[in-house]
Amino acid sequence: MLLKISNLNAGYGKVPVLHECTLEVNEHETVTVIGPNGAGKSTLLKTITGLVKAMSGQIVFQDEEIATLSTDQIIRKGIAFVPEGGRPFPNMTVLDNLRMGAFTKRENLKNGVIDELFALFPVLKKRSNQYARTLSGGERQMLAIARGLISRPKLLMLDEPSLGLAPKLVDEIYEKIRMLKESGLTVLLIEQNTSYALELADRGYVLENGHIIMTGACAELSSSDHIRKAYLGI
Amino acid sequence: MKQILSTKYLPFISIFSLIALIPLVISKDQYAMVLVTTVLLYAVLASAWNIIGGMAGQLDLGAGAYIGLGAFTTGTLLTRWNITPWIGMFIGGFVSVSFAILIGLPLFRFKIKELWYALTSSALVEVLRIVFLMWDEVGGPTEKYLPGGGDNALYSLRFSTYIPYFYIILIFLVIVIYLNHRIRNSKLGFSLLALGEDEDAAEVLGVDARGNKLKALMIYSFIVGTVGGLYACLYGFLHPSFFSTEISTEVVILGIVGGMGITYGPFLAAIFLVSFREYLRAALGGELAGLYLAVYAVVLIVVALFQPRGIAPLFRRLFEKVIRSLGGREHESSAKASS
Repeated sequence: MLLKISNLNAGYGKVPVLHECTLEVNEHETVTVIGPNGAGKSTLLKTITGLVKAMSGQIVFQDEEIATLSTDQIIRKGIAFVPEGGRPFPNMTVLDNLRMGAFTKRENLKNGVIDELFALFPVLKKRSNQYARTLSGGERQMLAIARGLISRPKLLMLDEPSLGLAPKLVDEIYEKIRMLKESGLTVLLIEQNTSYALELADRGYVLENGHIIMTGACAELSSSDHIRKAYLGI
Repeated sequence: MKQILSTKYLPFISIFSLIALIPLVISKDQYAMVLVTTVLLYAVLASAWNIIGGMAGQLDLGAGAYIGLGAFTTGTLLTRWNITPWIGMFIGGFVSVSFAILIGLPLFRFKIKELWYALTSSALVEVLRIVFLMWDEVGGPTEKYLPGGGDNALYSLRFSTYIPYFYIILIFLVIVIYLNHRIRNSKLGFSLLALGEDEDAAEVLGVDARGNKLKALMIYSFIVGTVGGLYACLYGFLHPSFFSTEISTEVVILGIVGGMGITYGPFLAAIFLVSFREYLRAALGGELAGLYLAVYAVVLIVVALFQPRGIAPLFRRLFEKVIRSLGGREHESSAKASS
């Protein structure tokens, strides 16, 4: 098992957002966490990366407790996190953004990883000397994913990659994520766009009001009455 | 040595060689010497601020605190124990660093940033000013004059003209700008730029926010503290008003107007803004007290409106244009390739 979260409580100040969450991600698996606005999905990813401190519970990555580590130490263990909206550095060029991604693994700048990523995201190659602030929303998201991948992480965590994108671009981004999945990468995907997420992932968790209320294979979840009514609108 | 002599540093060396010649032309004019020395002093302070403010994006308003600490350390060491300011100013630098760590550790630990960081660093200036105002043995409300001068000038760093100070500060400026350049192209520099752009995004790429910001703060406070020691010798006395929020603000203005994170930015801003302000003060000061500040403010607003990224990019474009019009075909093609 790559990532195992058990009985996690976390939140901001004294207000807990996540209650006793338990979640697992196996190697080479794509797991999605779906749920409505404000359910605590982003908080979950922020807690895994140490941006939000866990109040209690365990986060174990590769048999190692990481809940007490600082963010940079956690990232060095092999986790890449693409935050909501991608958040590339606006006043850096595309290439410099990618270089920042290799911050913990500088050798990857030389051994062709950038070329691989340019092959996956050809638009980034075209824009490589442009400032990130001049990119479109979809390009920003691709840059953020590429920036996360350049360190060759063991686990890629994506926070709403479809946010604010036109449907055609969402298709494009999900096509890329599917390619990554098929190459064997382990992905933890947070999504409000339930139909896309359930179609792509192997397993899913449903998070509501900070509680994990349901889990199972994505096919199972898509056929459950609750999901169909509340999320898929069928 | 070979690297320093390469063409890469040619503009750098030629500009500072030209500046070094200035006293030969104007050494008779005391006012002009005060002016150019002041410009260089502010350029050093603002270039140091560029590391914590321009690169790391922390709106540090604490320059006055580190100047005061450096000045009082250097001055007191000289007065009490006859320790030369040549050593004293570096001790002053270390005293400033220890205070910087004292406030930096808790601030960065608890992720106090942006506006709250600015307010806290600004408070440090005011708190220290009052402490030194009440602390009669070292500070107190009256000026404490530094001994030395005359035959002892070199040991006590108390010269009767501005020329030696001009050259000492110029050497400082060269070192600080070179340091800026080196940091900018180092791992530390990339970390600071990323933290300045988006702290959370930088952290999730594995940048240690706390450690890197603390490093930047330490480098900055050491330089400013050391300059503070020089400042005391330049004025020849110690006074709690050295803990000045005005200087802190001025340093930040120069850093921002020059262009955040750009190596030459604060230096350019100091040349234009400080000399412009001093010129206004001389020209308008007799008419109406404070009018020069109003005009100065208008200039700042104009820069904010038309050059929000600072004046340094404007100069870069001008510089490139000049080179191109001089017929540098090579530059033309390389500029095209990079654009």
